[in-house]
Amino acid sequence: MKGSVGAVLLAGIALRLATTLVFPTLQQTLDKSVEFSTPITSFKSLREGIYLLNNDLPVYDGGVVHHSPMLLAILSIFNGSEFLVSLFYTIIDSLIALNLIHILNYFQNSINFNNPTWAIGLLYLFNPLSLLTCISRSSTIFNNLFISYSIYFALNNNLLLASIFIALASNISIYSLLLILPVSFIIPKNYSSTYSPTHSHSASIDSNKKKISNNNNANKISKLNCSRLRFAIFALLSFTLLIAISFIINNSNWNFIYATFWMDLSSSKNFPNLGLWWYFFIEMFDSFIPFYKTVFNLFIVSIVLTISIRFNSSQPFYSLILSIGWITLTKPYPTLGDISFFIGLIPFFKPLFGYLKYPVISSLLFLHAILLSPIFYHIWIDVGSGNSNFFYAINLVYALSVALIITEFCWAMLRCEYDKGSPNYKAKVAQI
Amino acid sequence: MALLATIHRRVIDMGLVPKIMKRLPLVSIFLAAIGIVLFLMLPMDGQYRHTYISENALMPSQAYSYFRESEWNILRGYRTEIDIFPSMPSRDRNLVMTQWLEEFGTKTSVYHNDEYGDTLYGIFNAPRGDGTEAIVLAIPWYNADGEFNTGGAALGIALSRFFSRWPIWSKNIIVVFSENPDGALRSWVDAYHHSLDLTGGSIEAAIVMDYPSSSDFFDYVEIYYHGINGELPNLDLLNIAIQITEHEGMQVSLHGLPKESLHQNNYFSRLRTLLLGTKDALLSGIKPRHGNEAFSGFRIQAITLKAKFTPDNNDHDITSFGRIAEASFRSVNNLLEKFHQSFFFYLILAPKYFVSISSYLPSAVTFSVAFAISSLSSYINNSYSTLPIFSEYNLLAGLLFTISITFSFFVARLSLLFTEPRLLVLGSVFLSVLPHLLGNRFTIPEPLSYRLKSIAFLYISLVLTSLLVLNFSLAFGIGILGFAMTAVKTITIHSSMRVRVRNTMHLLLSNPFTSVLLFTYIFDKDIYGIKIFYEFIHSWNTLNCWTWFIICVGWLPPWILVSISSIQTNTVMQSPDYGKKQL
Repeated sequence: MKGSVGAVLLAGIALRLATTLVFPTLQQTLDKSVEFSTPITSFKSLREGIYLLNNDLPVYDGGVVHHSPMLLAILSIFNGSEFLVSLFYTIIDSLIALNLIHILNYFQNSINFNNPTWAIGLLYLFNPLSLLTCISRSSTIFNNLFISYSIYFALNNNLLLASIFIALASNISIYSLLLILPVSFIIPKNYSSTYSPTHSHSASIDSNKKKISNNNNANKISKLNCSRLRFAIFALLSFTLLIAISFIINNSNWNFIYATFWMDLSSSKNFPNLGLWWYFFIEMFDSFIPFYKTVFNLFIVSIVLTISIRFNSSQPFYSLILSIGWITLTKPYPTLGDISFFIGLIPFFKPLFGYLKYPVISSLLFLHAILLSPIFYHIWIDVGSGNSNFFYAINLVYALSVALIITEFCWAMLRCEYDKGSPNYKAKVAQI
Repeated sequence: MALLATIHRRVIDMGLVPKIMKRLPLVSIFLAAIGIVLFLMLPMDGQYRHTYISENALMPSQAYSYFRESEWNILRGYRTEIDIFPSMPSRDRNLVMTQWLEEFGTKTSVYHNDEYGDTLYGIFNAPRGDGTEAIVLAIPWYNADGEFNTGGAALGIALSRFFSRWPIWSKNIIVVFSENPDGALRSWVDAYHHSLDLTGGSIEAAIVMDYPSSSDFFDYVEIYYHGINGELPNLDLLNIAIQITEHEGMQVSLHGLPKESLHQNNYFSRLRTLLLGTKDALLSGIKPRHGNEAFSGFRIQAITLKAKFTPDNNDHDITSFGRIAEASFRSVNNLLEKFHQSFFFYLILAPKYFVSISSYLPSAVTFSVAFAISSLSSYINNSYSTLPIFSEYNLLAGLLFTISITFSFFVARLSLLFTEPRLLVLGSVFLSVLPHLLGNRFTIPEPLSYRLKSIAFLYISLVLTSLLVLNFSLAFGIGILGFAMTAVKTITIHSSMRVRVRNTMHLLLSNPFTSVLLFTYIFDKDIYGIKIFYEFIHSWNTLNCWTWFIICVGWLPPWILVSISSIQTNTVMQSPDYGKKQL
């Protein structure tokens, strides 16, 4: 078991390093493509930031760098060595795979995975999207790493580390702050027992048992609420602490907040990307822009809140995955790196696969969309025979496919809840 | 919604879904047939539209054209001098031409290229405007058929002189004399955008002139417009050229249609133009190159005008040919902005009729969907659909897929170094026959065969989808020529001889190399036979035309997988837990 995990990780690392060696220019090509690189995740601007930092120049004054000061400080220790940087990114990516395997191990008894648990790591590492994201050196993978650590520690009831990692993730991408709520819901009720993702807190579902051990349960639930609250407070505190550290690193200057968090929230650099935002703000009267940006942000928050609250007692782990998917779909600067992490989490839905109604359509749609997206960008920017409408149309198709995947899983979760957590794929509950 | 719900309920009541699922191969064939029917419907009344000028500023033929009697003698004078050029080395030709160009104040320069020879070009700076944009008049010394372009060169220099006396130009005028319309012109365009010192801003449009005769008179005009890699010039440019030509009283022929059929306008004449156009777009860059192909990829709208001669009926004089260029230049000169967007996707049915993208795209989309459905069918319509994702067969199929892509890529690359088309074709024939020859000496597990086909069809479906807007003709062509692949059946020990022979036939028909060979043998006498493979390589080397790579990397790997899948299979017993999950 241990050996095969190691083999999978080594294979992933070897694949990444080999790809970098065989195609040395691939990194720059990918960094230029809008699918893998956005102003806030691109490695080019990260390198610019490191250069400025190393030469004691003001990092955020030029309006080019939008990476967190801590990330710049950490990456500056590699001193520009290409190989070390590739190795570092490769290791980060394999750590994500390792975390996925650990999380699956945690659920091993409840998810009937059929395949060995290292398969999920293999799926992640050999997913072309995660491979290319890793090679493009997008800073998205730090976000993914921290989220995966946070999930792992939260499941293992290590509140402090879980909160620190979610704060780190938020430091890379501010929208990860929203995950505090769904992550707090996956903190297990019992310190000892593991639970199933399809019906985690059985007490809330099975009302008979609830009556019998009412007192006992109430006690447990309050304890649980207490630990959730503790987690949230820890997370916010460590986020504040990280900002303070960043402040010190950034020569006691607050301008990094504007360049990183505010830039992400307000999408102030209008740049074509896979997301749904940029097209709206190409030609809009200035006076409307703040309103729509607020609404778009509210849109992200509201669905994350509702999904996690709705499923908080029955399937909190799944609602967390859906929240990650939702943020990927609606944030202003998404990349394929975000979606590759979401895809890496999809195998956890194994028990619900039987409920899916049109997996073929949504996966084919997704495949075609990510394939056509660079082509439509090419005929817009390079050939000049298309225009921005072409590219945005394919963005919409891509968004539709991701939304289809999310709604399908949402439906599957509701069905599973209806079946009281033990899947019964044959039962028909709706006419359509 | 109520209607949808009713329909949905009826569909469920009749049990249509499982029935359709069982007959997916038929659905796939049905879709392909729909694709062809949709395509054949395009020349019908109501499916196509009259061309129109989208950009009002162009105003073709609105101003009087002055390149007439007053220029005759100048033109003839130059032509008499040029008549002796074929016997001169290109260096001397260019020297004389440089002197002439400089006489009326054109800045000239010669671009040296060791491989393709020298290219002389001159820039006449715009008297009005800021000189950031340019129009190109390109004259290859030798045309696509290797004839000396006497009339074209005379027109080129006479027109330059004529243009230089006018103060109306708001765009720079660049006149280019290259050795040929192929590599030489392309290398100049390439150099213009990368290394040349004397430049005149971004090139908006280019007109290539081909008048391979010293005759004063010609009969009608052929216009070539297909760029490489599926690019087309903006329809506005083609429209103004056609409108001006017809305004000057000449007939326009597209895709080399003979003179007799130019006046026809019925379903079959339109269909003929459509089919010829699709074939020309498919083989653009591979067929003899007329010059406009050289400008593809730099956002330059380019067309080639070619004067055609008939033995008895040449009643238009050479200055009318010059007037086409003059009036087109004046039209483009009027442009204040770029050419209109979204006017780049069209099929031409007749000089004045076109089909726009929304009408023709569905016919290629159906092929992509048909392949996707075949892929789905070979995944679910057998007893192995419930195997887990990580079963050895899936992994093996994935591995074979990766190997076949890598192999195909190397085939494509190696062919650039050693072009051995006979080997490719023989290899293809061998691989088509091999599964049949192997018989039961070598077998593969049955699920592997289904998985291989599933991956192969999904891959080719993705390839077709991605080609849709890039190169419609190529997508449509690969869809039709490769469709026989979906008919290849998985062979078990019980399969009859007939099925096996059919499989071999289908494989032979859908193989990229043999079917391209067959296609050009039937439809294009210019480049049939082994020659086409050399042309593929040549077009990649000189023009950067991707067709060879698309055929090798997009079409060959799925074909190899399908070929492997038709090796005789042995049934695999499934362990009882696999059957549990319902799809």
